[in-house]
Amino acid sequence: MSASAAKGVREVPSFCYNCVAGPDLMTVRVENGIATRIEPCHQAEAIHPGLGRVCVKAFGLVQKTYNPHRVLTPMKRTNPRKGRNEDPGFVPISWDEALDAIAAKLNDIRARGLLNDAGLPRVAATFGHGGTPQSYMGTFPAFLSAWGMIDYSFGSGQGVKCVHSEHLYGEFWHRGFTVTSDTVRTRYLISCGNNAEVSGGVCAVRRHADARIRGVKRVQIEPHLSPTGACSAEWVPIKPKTDPAFLLALIHAMLFEHPRSALDLPFLRDRTASPYLIGPDGYYLRDPASGKPLVWDEITDRPVPFDTAGARLALEGRFTVADAVTRGPDDEIRPQRDAAARTAFTAMADAMAAHTPDWAAGICDIPAGTIRRIAAEFLENACIGETIEIDGETLPFRPVAVTLGKTVNNGWGAYECCWARTMLATLVGALEVPGGTLGTTVRLNKPHDNRLKSVQPGEDGFMVAHFNATSQKDWMAQPTGRNAHRTLVPIVGNSPWAQALGPTHLAWMFASDAPKEWPDPELPEIWFAFRTNPAISFWDTARIGRAMARMPFIVAFAYTFDETNHMADILLPDATDLESTQLIRVGGTKFVEQHWAHQGVALRAPAVEPLGEARDFTWITTELCRRAGLLERYNAALNRGAALVPLKGEGYDFSLATDQAHSVETIWNAVCQAATAALSEGKDVHDLDWFKQHGHYVVPFDREDWFLTPTMVRQGLRYELPYQERLLRVGEELGRRLHEHDIHWWDSQLSEYVAIPEWHDVPERWVESIRSMGADPADYPLWGITTKVMPYTTGNNAGIPLMHEVSANLRNHGAVVINATTAAGLGIANGDWVEVRSPIGATQGRAAVVQGCRPDTVVIPGQFDHWKTPFAKDLPFPSLNTVVPLSLALTDATGSGADVVRVSVRRIAAPAQAGAA
Amino acid sequence: MTRYVMVADLRRCVGCQTCTAACKEGNGTPPGVQWRRVLDLETGTYPNVNRVFVPVGCQHCANPPCMEVCPSTATGQRADGIVTIDYELCIGCSYCAMACPYDARSMVDHAEYAFGEQPTAVEATRIGRERIGVATKCTFCAGRIDAGTARGLVPGQDPEATPLCVNSCISGALRFGDIEDKDGPIATLLAENQWFRMHESEGTEPGFYYIWDKGAL
Repeated sequence: MSASAAKGVREVPSFCYNCVAGPDLMTVRVENGIATRIEPCHQAEAIHPGLGRVCVKAFGLVQKTYNPHRVLTPMKRTNPRKGRNEDPGFVPISWDEALDAIAAKLNDIRARGLLNDAGLPRVAATFGHGGTPQSYMGTFPAFLSAWGMIDYSFGSGQGVKCVHSEHLYGEFWHRGFTVTSDTVRTRYLISCGNNAEVSGGVCAVRRHADARIRGVKRVQIEPHLSPTGACSAEWVPIKPKTDPAFLLALIHAMLFEHPRSALDLPFLRDRTASPYLIGPDGYYLRDPASGKPLVWDEITDRPVPFDTAGARLALEGRFTVADAVTRGPDDEIRPQRDAAARTAFTAMADAMAAHTPDWAAGICDIPAGTIRRIAAEFLENACIGETIEIDGETLPFRPVAVTLGKTVNNGWGAYECCWARTMLATLVGALEVPGGTLGTTVRLNKPHDNRLKSVQPGEDGFMVAHFNATSQKDWMAQPTGRNAHRTLVPIVGNSPWAQALGPTHLAWMFASDAPKEWPDPELPEIWFAFRTNPAISFWDTARIGRAMARMPFIVAFAYTFDETNHMADILLPDATDLESTQLIRVGGTKFVEQHWAHQGVALRAPAVEPLGEARDFTWITTELCRRAGLLERYNAALNRGAALVPLKGEGYDFSLATDQAHSVETIWNAVCQAATAALSEGKDVHDLDWFKQHGHYVVPFDREDWFLTPTMVRQGLRYELPYQERLLRVGEELGRRLHEHDIHWWDSQLSEYVAIPEWHDVPERWVESIRSMGADPADYPLWGITTKVMPYTTGNNAGIPLMHEVSANLRNHGAVVINATTAAGLGIANGDWVEVRSPIGATQGRAAVVQGCRPDTVVIPGQFDHWKTPFAKDLPFPSLNTVVPLSLALTDATGSGADVVRVSVRRIAAPAQAGAA
Repeated sequence: MTRYVMVADLRRCVGCQTCTAACKEGNGTPPGVQWRRVLDLETGTYPNVNRVFVPVGCQHCANPPCMEVCPSTATGQRADGIVTIDYELCIGCSYCAMACPYDARSMVDHAEYAFGEQPTAVEATRIGRERIGVATKCTFCAGRIDAGTARGLVPGQDPEATPLCVNSCISGALRFGDIEDKDGPIATLLAENQWFRMHESEGTEPGFYYIWDKGAL
């Protein structure tokens, strides 16, 4: 920290990681021991893509700190009955009592075994928004590691509020847990609902603003005019959930209405599986001897294994292959004689033939001419054949990209969108090259801090993929976690993040309605919750709340009372953002648009003393481990790197003695030194005091490492596109396994395992869901969707008045956004109270009558409907979550669903309880 | 001569309200008082619609109507163009608020706090009793400018001498500086881009420029 000229004034370096678009660096101004304001970290201007600035949310951290509604002492529940209408009867207790009570439960569980009779972990944990709570939970990950099996199945909106399908398919195809444009170079960007200007964070906002000045053309395809649409060159209002048709039609136009020379043919031939030959049964034709996929060699005019030296691979065409095999599900080797073959590229073209712009126009409500023009503009800007030099390396330059937004990117239709988006990039060689469509980081693969290192050779010339087993021998017939991610979702794998990326709503649904084919999952005996509020942030919040109330013992790290910790048994007040210590990683490439030319670490140190009895998360964790007999395992986990980096490495050893309870400062001092030693390869070792002065430490990160393709080239690997043979096989195997166990309720999801995605009537699924609830679709004539505003992007700060005040400058804050013509037809004027109803319930709010919204769509921003969180509960705001059903039928094969529901809207009288807020 | 002006590049602004929050926090304004805020405007008819975000606040006019109507001489104007309010002289008549074409002035007649009747710890340290019952508005963070320039810093270039809203702006929309510095970044920015000033016809000669090249708002 630096001393200011003014007496009693300190400026404390810190960071904000309240949403996945961070972390960003900031400075906390402290006057006479009181944090008075947040400022940018101007010292980081040269290294941070957002010039050292933080977004509006960070400015709420001062009010967050001094919120009079904070829980500032441990508390316990005195009313054993749980429910929304039950007073928990929380009473203050000492830390000793609170921690001893939790430790006693943990010790009892350990004595009986970590798994229950159904083989499920007895301890569960849920953390909120996109993994960001980990940057505020100190050493708690070391406790989780020390404990052993923990169920992370209970989601708080995962699969719904994230870009779920992109996480899974993006990481599968190009190590892109999230996917973005190379905005600093892109010239033409097709954005299907990607709301970069709202939820992309400061890095995205700055990069896109600079791009606009540079002259980028961004076409925003979305049902309502978001800030991103507002800042785009063109807004194309598409009917909700028809994006697959639009994107497939773009592919059609590029394949059938432009010469092949408009495509990047060398990239398709050499870097993808386009030349692989497909057999009559839909599987790759393989060399009988080696099992390798065959391609057609134009020189010898015969099939050869794909990696045959000197072969000239045919990109497209139909051939007859005299002798080959295919490998079907369960490793069935099928001889193929004189087989009719076509290349994967030709198979794709065949599948796209019917998806014309004229066909899509009727589905998407977008003129065919607009679709054709966008396809043409995309091709015109692709700069086929051009190169660019980056840090001394010559790379392809393809400045066109396609990005997808949340509701496009999860639930039914998302597979098609993810595939089509990736194929659009692939057709012009714009995948993972400068200017193009890029992944940012990995979470299902390792290591998390450098996605390029996760690239290893796998089968058939592709990268290795870590799917959950679907073979008869190894398939997990019974779930190992309550959302059954290993059993139902092969592509999610089983890495530490996989559970939380499974079908997390299933854990809540199965809590009261478990499949008869599996043992009763039983609720976890302890559920830890931190920075998460599924009681308002998931669908059908009333049902979630009822399931939560059945949890026998909930430990909630509590900032204020809220709808989720209302059901808790123990509340633990952790020292919050401005009061606590932690070192985290910054830089490199992270989601959402954090592309740095540096990487390193940044410290959050207490700017002010914790209020009340709030304690640093690391202190809480250490004490819990000590009381639960886990101290040695906990310290060992810390030494292994559970608090960021291994404490021992080549040339340094800052390991902690495993038999002692170390102080917060001791632990983070060791982490600071180990992290800097590792980053600098031993040249610099900086301790905690150094970081308190300087805030962050970075070393260069090669900008070439923003792009995956150079790594693919070096390893001689191909992107697993366009044909999805692996997914086809896995889907067939999964179907066999499920049916062998008489499970048929996942059959609809199995239909998504196709080798080339084609259109199916995606919106109709939501109409059908109305029927399945016994209602008449005619009574719910509008689409209900949601969106975000920056001050509330994570939904984690609804209790902060400053966020509400500044958000009120935006027209849609706390409103039901409705098209002016539609509103007039319903007798609704701007500011009128309206009710938005679905078959499961209704939500109420004021109408924001606008032109910038499709007539068939209403938009409810954010997620409110709080009934316990102080301040937020008095905001008379609607929430789409309240009216969206938890539905298996609306769950796709990845386990995700979308924030979409068919609704009715009517004008109502102002509710009596509506406040003035 | 120096004249400090603000520039808002509307091509960049995303309406995030970060400047609004930074101003409120930095200047300790009470709930509902926003010296800087960003309007969310829409023009056109579906589907041909434009939505534009427009930062507003005191325009620090060369000919400020607020000063003209001020009966107590509380509203003044510095040599560098910053329009000021002397809280000691202000009688709270609100003539200035009525006269301002930019809706830039606020007045509260009692202390209000974010969480209700009691101030938070930070609010307790920042209650500006002198700002109750008088007109208030954006000062261009004159205190920062004066402290900065006294140290040889350049407003608009050195963060410590620059208004907090400009420092906080994440899109680079807000810029600040001396327009009379003919080779300086502000004069250059305006020379190279299309711009307008709000309510120019009022003859106020605002010190707030909007860069915009996409026709009528």
